[in-house]
Amino acid sequence: MTPFTSILESLSRQRGVRASLVVSENDGLVVDSRLRFGQDGDRVAALAASMYRKARLSARAARLGAVAFLQLDAERGRVCAVGGRSDLVIVVVADPAANVGLIRVELFKALESLE
Amino acid sequence: MNIATVEPWVEAPLRRFVDDARARLALLLHPSGQVIAQAGFTREVDVMSACALAAASHATAGELGRRVDGHAFRSLHYAGPERQLFLSPVETARGAYICLTVFNAESSLGLVRMYFEELCTELAAAAPPLPSIRQPTIAADFELDLNRNLAALFGRPVTS
Repeated sequence: MTPFTSILESLSRQRGVRASLVVSENDGLVVDSRLRFGQDGDRVAALAASMYRKARLSARAARLGAVAFLQLDAERGRVCAVGGRSDLVIVVVADPAANVGLIRVELFKALESLE
Repeated sequence: MNIATVEPWVEAPLRRFVDDARARLALLLHPSGQVIAQAGFTREVDVMSACALAAASHATAGELGRRVDGHAFRSLHYAGPERQLFLSPVETARGAYICLTVFNAESSLGLVRMYFEELCTELAAAAPPLPSIRQPTIAADFELDLNRNLAALFGRPVTS
């Protein structure tokens, strides 16, 4: 049981969610995770943290402000991530057919409770 | 980034690792401190001292792990304010090597560890089998090998 258990369990209950993780943005390491069988948490964490960090830096460089929500749609799945003021990023890996709207709401709720 | 190797089978996997992990410097060395490949170094003296220090750190951490936990610590990570280093062994058919990776904020420990696993797999697959007859390593051979490897890496003629 960690401070992130309930956040991750709530995210993982969403239909089509394969993995939910709390990741350190700077280190790209898993802080806590709920993974479906076959998901490589370390790999997802490293890549999602790197992607989120680059998006944040790009948004700042383009003077667009802070990144609110990051979404990557790929052929066999999608990655959604939100980050706040701390080093922590909440990441969800979902099926292509998953409802991104609901996932997005849950991610923002999770971020609120994290901060 | 400039990459130089003593063993040609090391080059492609190391180049991929350095590119993917966005490493600033990388060294592949024998646990005795003999350099096998380097990426990003510009001076021989830096390679020599980095190899000696990496081999010593690896040996020290291994022994410390054995004393504390009964098993050698495998990987070491040090995070400085600007740069970080990751030191970990690589097992191949030609024996064990040590890889020292230096990275900065362009990369992360998670990415380096992830691509390091791929490097280990690729090196294990690429390593040719060990010759059946091996010469014992003695002090004179060590220095000769060290000079030969450094000469090969920095493109200077070998002096005996």
